[in-house]
This record gives sequence, C-alpha cells and structure tokens, in this order.
Amino acid sequence: MLASLFLIGAALATPGMTVQQASQAIVDESSGGLTEAVNRMVGGIISYVGWPDRRAGDDLTLCQVGAPRLTGLLAPDIPGDRPLSLRRTSAGAVIANGGCDILYLGRVSSADRMRLVQWVRARAVLTITDDDPACLHGAMFCLAHRDTGLSFSVNLDAIARGPLRVDPRVLQIGRSVS
Amino acid sequence: MSDRKLPRTTLQKLLSRFHFGVTLFAVALSGLAIMLAGVAALRGYADRNIELAAQLGAYGVEPALVFRDPQAAREGLEPLTHIPGIAQLRILDDRGALLTEWVSPHPDPAPLLTRIFFPEPFALPVRRNGSRIGTIEIRGDSSTLLDYVRIGLLAGLICLIVTGLGTVALARRFEYELVKPLGEIASVAHDVRLHRRFDKRVQSLGIAELDRLGGDINALLDELQGWQGHMESEHAMLAHRASHDMLTAMPNRAAFDEQLAARIEAAAARRSRFALLFIDVDNFKAANDGFGHAAGDAVLVALAARIKAVLRRRDFAARIGGDEFAVIADPVEARADAEELALRICNAVAEPVTLTDGEDYRPAVSVGVAIYPDDGDDGTALLTVADSGMYAHKLSNRN
Repeated sequence: MLASLFLIGAALATPGMTVQQASQAIVDESSGGLTEAVNRMVGGIISYVGWPDRRAGDDLTLCQVGAPRLTGLLAPDIPGDRPLSLRRTSAGAVIANGGCDILYLGRVSSADRMRLVQWVRARAVLTITDDDPACLHGAMFCLAHRDTGLSFSVNLDAIARGPLRVDPRVLQIGRSVS
Repeated sequence: MSDRKLPRTTLQKLLSRFHFGVTLFAVALSGLAIMLAGVAALRGYADRNIELAAQLGAYGVEPALVFRDPQAAREGLEPLTHIPGIAQLRILDDRGALLTEWVSPHPDPAPLLTRIFFPEPFALPVRRNGSRIGTIEIRGDSSTLLDYVRIGLLAGLICLIVTGLGTVALARRFEYELVKPLGEIASVAHDVRLHRRFDKRVQSLGIAELDRLGGDINALLDELQGWQGHMESEHAMLAHRASHDMLTAMPNRAAFDEQLAARIEAAAARRSRFALLFIDVDNFKAANDGFGHAAGDAVLVALAARIKAVLRRRDFAARIGGDEFAVIADPVEARADAEELALRICNAVAEPVTLTDGEDYRPAVSVGVAIYPDDGDDGTALLTVADSGMYAHKLSNRN
C-alpha cells in the first residue's frame, strides 16, 4: 500500500508520465484468441485491485456500458474463480442506481464518458476501457490491441484520485509513455 | 633351519606405527562423519536458497503470468539474476508453455558438484488467488557451493593436520613413558652382565607391570649377588689356602717366590736394596722326634709368631719348608742393618716355648743373609747366598 502510494506519488510529481503502458501480452492466433486474451487481461486487472469495503473473494459486479470494441462477449477470467456478476447497463442507469464495482466502458459517447468519469471520481469503482488506446480520457485501465498483441495502460492520476488499492506490481508491469 | 633373520624394529617404532594407524583411522572416521553431516547441511541450505529464490521469482512474475506478458516476466525475474548460484530460470504458463527463460552467462565452475546437489531443477507453482497460473523452474549451479566446499575442505584438512600432530605428540609422550622404564631395566641388565655390577638395582617404575618385572629382576639380582659374594669368599679362601701354610698361617713357598720376584722388580725400579733372610730351625728334627709332632707344630707356630713380631710392617715372612722360613726385609740401607735384624730374630726365637705337656723347649735358629743387589739380582742367586750364609751360621752355632 505504502509502496503503491509512493509510486503513485512519484508518478504524479512528474506530469506527462502518469500513463503507464503494459508490454504486449501474448494473443493466440486461433479464432476467439483475442476474446480470451481480453477476458484474461480484464480478469487479471480485477484480481490485482482491492476494494476498501470488500474482502478478497466477495462477489463483484461488473457494469458494461457500451459495446466492447475488442471482444464480443465479455466474460472476465479472474484467477481463483472469484464470483463476478455481469450487467449490461447505460451511463444514466449507473449514475442513477450505482451498485457497480467495475465499469467496463466500450463504445460510449464522449459526453457519457465524461459524466461517468466525473461520477466515479472518489468512488470505489474500477474503470476499464477498450476504446481509448492512448488512455487520455480518464479511465484507470485502458486496453489496446496492436499488431504485436494486446496491452493495457494505466492512468495513475485516475487511480490516485480514487480509494481503490492497486497492486504496484501491475503498475510496474508497464513502461512509461513519454 | 628356520633361523632366518627377522627384520628387527624398536618398540618405539612399533608403537609409533600402531598409534599412527589408530589415529589415522579415528580422524578419517570422524572426518567422514563431519563431511557427511556437512554435505547434508549444505544440501539443505542450497535447497532452501533455491526455494527462497523461487518464491521471490514467483512473486515477481505473478502479474506477468496473469497477463501472459514475457517482457514483464523478464523484468519480474530480473532480481533473481543477481543472486549467485542460479544457472537457469524458466517461467511456464498454466498450459506448460514457456513464457520466458534466462540462462546465467557464467559457466558452471564445478558441474560435478551441481549434479550432486541439484540433480534436477526446482519447480514451484505460481498461484493467484489459489489457482495455479504457471510454474517457475530454477536450476542451481555450484558457484555458491564451491566456496563453501573449498572452505570446508580446507578446514577439514587443517583439522586433520592438527589432530594428526596432536595425537602423534601424545603417542610420543606415551611411548616415552613406556620405553624409558624398559630402557632402564635393559641398562641394568646390561650393566650386570657386562660389568658384573651386581649391586645395581632397577628403580621403582610408574607402570605396574614393568614395576613387577623390575621387582623380579631386583630379586634375581639379590640372589645373584648372594651367590657372587659366596663365590668370592670361597675363592678368596681357596686362594689363601693355595698361597699360605695352614699351620702357621704364613705365606707358603709359592707365595714367597712370587713375592720375591715382585720385590726384586720393585727394588730394581727404585734402585734400592732389600735383604733376604734364610732361617732354619736348629735340631728341629730331634725336637720333633723327641716331643712328638704336635709339639713340633707348636714350636713352628710360636716361631712364626715371634719372627713376625720382630718384622716391620713392609717386611715379608714365609714358611718355605718344613722348618725353614724366609724373610724379606725391604728396604734396608746396609748389610749391617740386615745382620742386626738377623740377630734380633735369633734373640726373639730363643725364648723358651712351653709345650703341651708342661716342658720348656728352647728353640734356636740359624740365619743367612743376602742383600739385593749386592749378592745377586735374581731370586735363585739370592737364595743360594742366603742358604750358604745360613749353613755357615749353623756350623758356627754347633762349634
């Protein structure tokens, strides 16, 4: 936790280096390989995030807003088989009702995205998007598909604003994008 | 003949060899035990070291395995590449496919040691929330063990040398304790045999068995000394008997001849003179016949005592015949001294002798004098001169 804060602090102290990009994950060439890779990556990210009011192993709710770009069927593969309920919903419903631990942003309008990012601020909600490869629009984790494979970037500013604990090893995994 | 010559060795050498053998055996045995214990401990230590490295690696590569990211896996393994003693690292994912691999650029310094200690790589499953997401495999090498083994061998060698020296010194000490008393006994026996030193005894010894041996030898020596003393006194008695007249206890003819030769030699060396007096008892045969042999013997004993009483300490008297005595007066200045002595002898023996039956007998002697070297320089010549002098005296006595 301390290390995480220190890392985040160090990242904040140097503007322009707050987004970390993971190196490429291997994606199988077979059909559905990308879907599997996305599910695996999302599940991995979830497994390294801690919610302050939840214990490890508690049921989590993932709210999917907009259609995912990289996968047709989102079914995160969390190591250790943590129970996860999936809900397709809309930005308005999320803001109105809450009840989401994870927000997966697919293709959404920039207005909705801004509203959601504003709403998430200071809430214990993890945001993941696959529609912002450069990770410039406020989501905490941004998935990107390139020729070399699937990767993710980390928005340290966004993480630092919220109460979520993210394992520093995940933050460390990526290299800074300057 | 089975009289083949056996190669002789000293007790000290024998003990030394024996001790060395025992010591070597003991040291080798303890060394082996320590070595086996050391190898077991070393192996445990090496296994633990590899296990710790594997756990560290598993922690480092866990996210990389979750995201199946080879680059991240390499970075996760990076801290392990600085740990000495790791030859190869392999990360396998949950399906057993190789994610990344690292091989130490340093060659294995002792492949044999590696084969003994790390016959196969150590594999540790990497888990995330309880489910197995991959495996980390670590192959150790001997680079860390080598120093340990070297130091261990060196220390073992030093221990061996120190133990060896110590036990050799102790063995020496023991040998000394044993060989010294034995040498003492041997030297006593040697002294007794070679120098007839029957008064020598073995000192009291610190070792019970040897002390008993020494005691027995001492007892044997006591007996030997007794026999020797007895023999010596017997011998002296026999020698006295051979050279002395039994009746008068005076030296006999043989002793007289010996003495005369010795005196001539001594006087020749000193260039001094001595006198030879030849004494013959007058009418002794008549006295013997008249009074009996016992009376004759008594007279002879009395005469011998009187002659001896007249002589000086260095003078010599012997009974050289039945009624003949000879006296060596040594030294004398002049013939007159010798003649005076002759006169004194005549006067001394002239006292009456009381016989056993109460009768008095007045013995008389005739004395002849010869002076060395004036009358001759050998015994025969001197005796001849003295003898003729005695006859002259006897004739003058009769007249």
